[in-house]
Amino acid sequence: MLINTVILFLRDALPILVLVVYLFVHLPTSRLWLLLCLSAGAILSLIYINQIHIIGQWFDGKGIELSLWFSQFLVYLLTLVLASGLIFSHSSNRQVMYWVAGLMVSLTLVSKGSNFILYFDGYLHQSNVLQAMLLGTFLGLGICLSLVVLLYLAARWLKQRFGLWASWTLVLVYATGQLVNALPLLVQVDLIDTSATAWSSQNLVSNEFEFGHLFNVLFGYQASPSIAQVIVYVCALSIPLATFYWLKLRLASHSGNKQ
Amino acid sequence: MHKLIGYTTLSIGTLCGLFCLPVLAAVTEYHIELKDHLFFPSQITIPANQKVKLIIENQDNTPEEFDSFSLNREKVIFANQKATIFIGPLKPGEYTFFGEYNPNTARGTVIVEHKKQETPDAH
Repeated sequence: MLINTVILFLRDALPILVLVVYLFVHLPTSRLWLLLCLSAGAILSLIYINQIHIIGQWFDGKGIELSLWFSQFLVYLLTLVLASGLIFSHSSNRQVMYWVAGLMVSLTLVSKGSNFILYFDGYLHQSNVLQAMLLGTFLGLGICLSLVVLLYLAARWLKQRFGLWASWTLVLVYATGQLVNALPLLVQVDLIDTSATAWSSQNLVSNEFEFGHLFNVLFGYQASPSIAQVIVYVCALSIPLATFYWLKLRLASHSGNKQ
Repeated sequence: MHKLIGYTTLSIGTLCGLFCLPVLAAVTEYHIELKDHLFFPSQITIPANQKVKLIIENQDNTPEEFDSFSLNREKVIFANQKATIFIGPLKPGEYTFFGEYNPNTARGTVIVEHKKQETPDAH
């Protein structure tokens, strides 16, 4: 139970913390904003879990997978909205960007945090596992927080060195990874067809091990991704990067011409 | 600007949609039970290059998450509930799965073989 709890933290708490840190670096803001986002996300997660049996019956029993995939897709779309805030950096936009970031955190909390509630709700009442679970929680939280502190320093350095676009790229890579991770949800309920495996690096870095978990959170690493996942990953990453880079250049030349 | 964001979203949506092909072929069902944090049967044999439907019934009073790295699947099965997962088409080989909340006991293997075998658990 101890190890299970630690792994659960690595798989489900780490993605939430990584997104919070990236957004905190990208949009430096007050602790109150962070507290509000986390509280809203926690409340939404409780509502989601409370209604999960009903949601599960939607769309011929595919409701849970569809809702989880849709929340990841929304997080990805909101990442694109964040980039538009960089292009048009008006003061009114800044407030909107905080709302966007808050929504991203809340949605991630719903999709990842609900797993926690299920796990703890199912096993916490068993007195024989309580000690192991608590110890696992402290260990898991400790590992996650240590990683997140390192990531925070790295992200802040990148932002200072290369500017706001660097910190946004980190968010984009994260969101693309999570979007691609959510694709098998649609395959497992037979909504999309599976495709052949693109490659297998199970022997190199398996998804079962710590590095596999970490890489999966940071950039959606899969030891044996399908060709569909690879195509979606490349497109979801390269199209926005190319589009926003072109827009940035165009706006820069436009403002240069005006002067 | 808004148009460009729209086009970007549309392109990604279309790409995702390309994979959304309707599946009309009938699929074979395989039943697995989860009792006392153990999968029964713990080994199932399925034909290669064919999509199959796994119906997992959790008979425990605690939830479990069916998880497999090699099959790339994860699904929470609530206490005393059933869950359905589609797997395949797969190449011949062994694909392990486990219960994420009880990985030491809840473990199993999907064996994929070229020759279709009649197994007692296949329906």
